[in-house]
Amino acid sequence: MYHHIRSFFPYLITYRKEITVGAIALILTDLVALAIPWILKNFIDLLSERPAGSELLFYALILCLVSLFQALFRFGWRKFLFGPSRKVEFDILNHLMQHFFNLDATYYQKEKTGDLMSRATNDLRSIRDFVGLGLLIFVDSSLVIFCCLSLMSLLNPTLTLYCLVPLPIVSILFFKFSRSISKKQREVQEHLARISSRVQENLSGIRVLHAFVQENNEMRKFATLNEEYVKKNLQLTKLFALFTPSLVFTLGVSALIALWQGAHQVISGTMTLGDFVAFNGYLIMLSWPMMGIGFVFNLTQRGLSAMARLDEVFSSMPSIIDTAKKTGSAIKGEITFENLGFSYPEASGLALKNINCVIPKGGRLVIMGKIGSGKTSLLCLIPRLFNFNTGSLKIDGIPVSEIPLSVLRKSVGYVGQEPFMFSATIRENLKLGNALATDADIQEVIVMSGLQPDMERFPQGLDTLVGERGVSLSGGQKQRLALARALLRKPEILILDDAFSSLDVETEEWIVSQINQKIRGITTLIATHRVTGVKEAGQILVLDQGTVVELGTHAELMQNQGFYSRLYKEQMLTREMDFFLQ
Amino acid sequence: MSTNKHEDMQDRYYDWSLFVRILKYLHPYRWSVILAIVLLFAVSMLHLAGPYLTKIAIDDHIKINKLEGLDTIALVFMVVLTTAFAIQFFQTLLMQYIGQKVMFDLRSQVFSHLHRMSFKFFDHNPIGKMVTRVVNDVEVLNEMLTSGLILVFSDLFTLMGIFCVLLYLDWRLTLIVCLVFPFLAWATRAYRVRARDALRKNRAQVTVLNTYLEENLSGMSTVQMLNREEENFKQFRSINQEKLKEDLRSIHYSSVYMPSIDVFSAIGIGLVIWYGGGRFVQEEIQLGVLVAFLQYIQKFFEPIRDLAEKFNIIQTAMASSERIFELLDTPEDLPNPENPKALPTLKGEIKFKNVWFAYKDEDYVLKDVSFVVQPGESLAILGATGSGKSTIINTLCRFYDIQKGQILVDGTSVSAVDKYELRRQMALVQQEVFLFSGNVLENIRLGNEMVEENDVESVAQMVHSHQFINQLPMKYHQEVREGGSILSLGQKQLLAFARALVIDPKILILDEATSSVDTETEALIQKAVLEVIKGRTSIIIAHRLSTLRHVDKVMVLKNGRVEEFGTRRELLRKKGAFYKLYTLHKEQGDPADTL
Repeated sequence: MYHHIRSFFPYLITYRKEITVGAIALILTDLVALAIPWILKNFIDLLSERPAGSELLFYALILCLVSLFQALFRFGWRKFLFGPSRKVEFDILNHLMQHFFNLDATYYQKEKTGDLMSRATNDLRSIRDFVGLGLLIFVDSSLVIFCCLSLMSLLNPTLTLYCLVPLPIVSILFFKFSRSISKKQREVQEHLARISSRVQENLSGIRVLHAFVQENNEMRKFATLNEEYVKKNLQLTKLFALFTPSLVFTLGVSALIALWQGAHQVISGTMTLGDFVAFNGYLIMLSWPMMGIGFVFNLTQRGLSAMARLDEVFSSMPSIIDTAKKTGSAIKGEITFENLGFSYPEASGLALKNINCVIPKGGRLVIMGKIGSGKTSLLCLIPRLFNFNTGSLKIDGIPVSEIPLSVLRKSVGYVGQEPFMFSATIRENLKLGNALATDADIQEVIVMSGLQPDMERFPQGLDTLVGERGVSLSGGQKQRLALARALLRKPEILILDDAFSSLDVETEEWIVSQINQKIRGITTLIATHRVTGVKEAGQILVLDQGTVVELGTHAELMQNQGFYSRLYKEQMLTREMDFFLQ
Repeated sequence: MSTNKHEDMQDRYYDWSLFVRILKYLHPYRWSVILAIVLLFAVSMLHLAGPYLTKIAIDDHIKINKLEGLDTIALVFMVVLTTAFAIQFFQTLLMQYIGQKVMFDLRSQVFSHLHRMSFKFFDHNPIGKMVTRVVNDVEVLNEMLTSGLILVFSDLFTLMGIFCVLLYLDWRLTLIVCLVFPFLAWATRAYRVRARDALRKNRAQVTVLNTYLEENLSGMSTVQMLNREEENFKQFRSINQEKLKEDLRSIHYSSVYMPSIDVFSAIGIGLVIWYGGGRFVQEEIQLGVLVAFLQYIQKFFEPIRDLAEKFNIIQTAMASSERIFELLDTPEDLPNPENPKALPTLKGEIKFKNVWFAYKDEDYVLKDVSFVVQPGESLAILGATGSGKSTIINTLCRFYDIQKGQILVDGTSVSAVDKYELRRQMALVQQEVFLFSGNVLENIRLGNEMVEENDVESVAQMVHSHQFINQLPMKYHQEVREGGSILSLGQKQLLAFARALVIDPKILILDEATSSVDTETEALIQKAVLEVIKGRTSIIIAHRLSTLRHVDKVMVLKNGRVEEFGTRRELLRKKGAFYKLYTLHKEQGDPADTL
């Protein structure tokens, strides 16, 4: 556990001055607060001597003055203990984001976004509460408990001892309850996660459910799941319902003892009335810290596990490390695969085996194969989304690992099947590819990507907002926008990974012809299920289960009578069908 | 990224009507609520008994050195404590019970409402957003109902209770102490206005921050491919900075306000010392009253401080409830007719009469489509992407309402009958097979649990799924995870056929998958298709020419219009698009398929 905490110390040390000021202010606040019952005690004792009005006024003023100091100190710790906890949160979150940007595809393949989000929000909040509130209450409570008990003992040691009798019950109760509460709490959390994924699944499959008229069945199943959740919650509630009142009750018993025994002692003359009042005052002051300790315990538990979870993220290291030293000259675009072998991290089988292929600068390679045959895996290796295991991958004769990542990725335009759009305007999304692009550049790529007719339909043109993940765009529009974004980078290597799957054949053909005509000298790699423009490709590579089964020109492969020619015929038919019917 | 920041900033002040609407959910449990409030009141009062008993102890016993009766006071105190304990326990349970019930109702309501929404709604709303409504927002609201609202009540009761006790003890002294109140009210108001503003902005910033974080995490590879790491981090940092600014601002306000309560409390005590002490000296009040006064005044300011802290929870809950109500207020797009015509068991005639349909405005996807499918007949629809094939299916099942024309099933318009009844007699096999978490059996029969396992097996045998299912380790009880990665694409399609056939539909609609599968599975699928369309009205969106061999009629769609319609023979004679396809097919010379 403690090594997790240690990695969070530096964040606190940054604000050591503020924290020190805050801590001192906190201690002073507590000390001043302790003075108030003492003043009241003296006042009560004074009353029996029939004081004059001016004496009373003096006491009142002293009290107000002390209180003024208390307020001042309280302001101090609130500002200088809560403030840094927010700043620490700010720093940790910034660090985390920076770290997220450094981690690579290997990591994101393993972790769910929802889980990472929960670490960056819920866990971070737990840490903030632990660091800010937890530390604060701990210091505050222990100080108050210590001082109150000392002062009470000073006033009346035997009475203090009597009053302490019920207090161990509080801690016993606390430890007993806290374990079962946290267990139940976890169960409730897990059940909520189940509800969440049920809703998620229902909404993803809503079209099937509605087609098969499953609405009522689903509602019934959901009600059952929901009922179980209520039941688990009520079990937890039972514990809570017992816990808080027992604390209050135990403290009440202490107060009762103080009143009962104290009164006896005052009457018998072993205690003054002022002492009695002050003693009761301190006892009241004890009640909050007693509960506070329990609260701290809770915060600590959550804070520590949150720290462990965050530390896990921080200690994950990217496998793609930018070690290249030389700034490197511009990439020209010749790509060589040599005996390349690759398996996904933590996967058992090889995704790619013994790939050999050379694509000259400006050349064009079409990769075909069934789903899962390794097309995407092969393409991912070029911009170094993953590291390969064996063989070599060179660009312009230089191994990719020796090319600085920024240079490499700057010269690669990658368009995937499900392109990611940010909730921003079309212009902003395009400019992600090239921040310096002018409107003329943007116009050019829009035309080339076949987006012109769509643009005319958008009310605000380039300034149209695309919504979260681009919800307001069709799949085809997103794919073309992604192409435009990639083209805007003026890449040396263009990778189209099944990038037109949502487009109709006609549009796809038009775009491919545009790319062929307008941009010369760009090395292009296309993974596709469709045969559009395959004939014109320099080389065609067919993958099956990660190995190259066929490699050559269209004519060569057609003669081969293998997988490709069969695929081609089949696909050609569908294509022709589409073409004729268009 | 930067532009939508402003949208989120328009976070409103919440009004009473919203609050009243939340309270309406308590209506079914009103008696329990009233009981809970009464219990709460009792607990608050009992907790105030301590100082009063102290007063009695001082005035009636200590001052006059009277020992007898003191034990009675201790006993009363003990009874008070025990009662308070029992009531508080019961009250907490009751309140949580109510909260859970309300949450159950609300969550079920939101869930059911989602199921009433049309496909159009789901086309436009991201899933994540809706999951948040059903799960997180309801949770927040529950927290407010059970802890927030209740604590507010208990604080208010305590305040009132103390005030009454003070008045009873000595009204003059109470009035003097009241001098503090105007200043306290002024400070509270000043704080509330500022804190609300800071909280509001803070919450908006948190939303922006989380959206940005989520977006970057989901699109990380895009970000990295585009070398945007540094730029995006800068942007993230600046949003984070804005959030920190509002955070610190609200901390500053509470850092000023909370201690100011100390000062007010001290002034109150000071007034008691000065004025009350004076009155004691003049023997107008007893010492016990004075001591009780001092204790009560200290307790008086606790709930005030508490109420200020509660402010945050309530504001957040209001924002959540507003989002939930917004969803609940989204009207049903395709309501069932008020008096639906009875729909007897279908014979299966389908008739499209001059149907016009557009997903949006005047952008017609189906233009004047008319055709008839006789009962038991099968129809294949051919057409390019976007020609309106899927739309025909969607309108036939009444997932969308058409703008002009009529769609008739056995002579009755689909919009005049109960849509659930209609869909129950149809089966739709979609291109992408969606598998639910659960086992194979559950995935085939879905919610129709009265279908016996034997029946499922025999259906599976008919569509050639039985063989591969039997090879799974747990056979029909094999768990398939969401997405169904243990099954191949072709196997999933076969499973979907079984799913359709198990309900023995009168009308079968099949949207053929475009993706290619291996030759053996392909042959199985073809055989299965033949099986499922046998003896029932079927509409197939064909992506394979081989499928056309099995059907009675073919329709060619082009840009939303029926280009050709008829039997295969008729269409071949017509020498149109279908003929061209056919000849092309022959040229390719695939011996396996002859039309």
